[in-house]
Amino acid sequence: MQNPGFDIDIAELDELMLLLASKAEEAVQKASHALKTQDIDLCGAVKTNDSIIDRLQLSIDDKVIEIIATRQPVASDLRKLLSVMKLASDFERAADYAVHLAKATKLFLNEPQWRQLEKIMQMADMGAAMIHGTAQAYKIRSSALARQTAQLDDQIDHIHKSLLQETLLFLRQYPEEAERATRIIILSGHLERLGDHMTNACEAIVFMVEGIHADLNE
Amino acid sequence: MPSHDILHMELNFPSDHIALSTKNLEVIYADGARAVKGISLSIPKKATTAIIGPSGCGKSTALRAFNRMNELIPGTVTKGEVLFHSRNIYAPSIDPVTVRTNIGMVFQKPNPFPKSIYENIAWAARIHGHKGNCDELVESCLRKAALWDEVKDKLRRSAMSLSGGQQQRLCIARTLALTPEVILMDEPTSALDPLSTASIEELTSELKKDYTIIIVTHNLQQAGRISDMTAFMLLGDLIEYAPTKKLFVNPEDERTERYITGRFG
Repeated sequence: MQNPGFDIDIAELDELMLLLASKAEEAVQKASHALKTQDIDLCGAVKTNDSIIDRLQLSIDDKVIEIIATRQPVASDLRKLLSVMKLASDFERAADYAVHLAKATKLFLNEPQWRQLEKIMQMADMGAAMIHGTAQAYKIRSSALARQTAQLDDQIDHIHKSLLQETLLFLRQYPEEAERATRIIILSGHLERLGDHMTNACEAIVFMVEGIHADLNE
Repeated sequence: MPSHDILHMELNFPSDHIALSTKNLEVIYADGARAVKGISLSIPKKATTAIIGPSGCGKSTALRAFNRMNELIPGTVTKGEVLFHSRNIYAPSIDPVTVRTNIGMVFQKPNPFPKSIYENIAWAARIHGHKGNCDELVESCLRKAALWDEVKDKLRRSAMSLSGGQQQRLCIARTLALTPEVILMDEPTSALDPLSTASIEELTSELKKDYTIIIVTHNLQQAGRISDMTAFMLLGDLIEYAPTKKLFVNPEDERTERYITGRFG
């Protein structure tokens, strides 16, 4: 048997959440593509998209507050709402990192020798895949898919570490390239954080489905 | 540690922490209806335990069985045991009046005696053999029931002149006058407005420092707010009994989940 009013509210929330996730995924993909193709217009689109994402997150928060205030949910309903708030915040942060990535395009215009960018794009693609997997896990309420998705974070961490070493070495050799090298390090850190946020989001999905606090960083 | 292990660990109260326990408690009404179908549970001392469940699940019947109140309903048969201080309160040698003194009850509708505020407490205590200073007893009970400040200047007025919430607190004060160890409350706020409800809820939090409280409530939010343990009953069976925080966040049984999330009942 259903609780029709609550289920309608949750359906609305699901719609907002999946829209937010798809916007965040798209932002990361576009930012990566802008960097690859050196497309300044596309960078602008990523930045414009970010304000829509911010508003979507606030809409989700407002909806959750409204449901808690009017329906006083408990058990899996309550866990769902709290997880939704965490997820929305993590997707919003992921989109912020996409904006940082897009903004870097200008700095690397006509600088094809920066092969470190390949790794940045690889990390971004994995980040986008994590957002996609997390959104799917939320959609089908699958803690198994959430756990599987969180494993991608190890690969992002691995690339981050090697990129860090590589860039520091490069920096010693070419100190005059400090600005761009530092930016690579910062971007790599951002994408590493993006992976962490998606891992947190996956943990929130496990809590939503199973009611336990899983540490998916292990 | 899996959550169900935590649950079992927390439910394994040391025996000196148990106020009252039941073993296969069964209550059958005169028409043959088995309102309570063999429930076993241990109620912790100096804590509030809530019993929830849909109408007709047997929760009020179970509550009344905890102090032999069902015996006042002709033809009702109670089986199994209710252990209080390691003795079955249904044993032939036990006096039901003594049981009801030690395990008091507060009802859904406030039922003060049609006497003065003072006499509601003093009279009840006197007929139960109180020989001490009644003034002190009245003040102490009214203070414990958080009613003293509101009525100290009108103790000789009729209890019927009080508001519903005040009447209910007076009934609690009257129960306290008999120095019970356990207080049973059968939907004590269902006839009260939100402010009076809040004052009774606050009172239960104070009272549990000295007494064991078992409350039957239809109000799930109330159970969540004031109880330490919650028992969920359905069709006379005890479905789940767990720390309230556990039961309202992550219940073990699908039927509990469906009931507390409003999907049936």
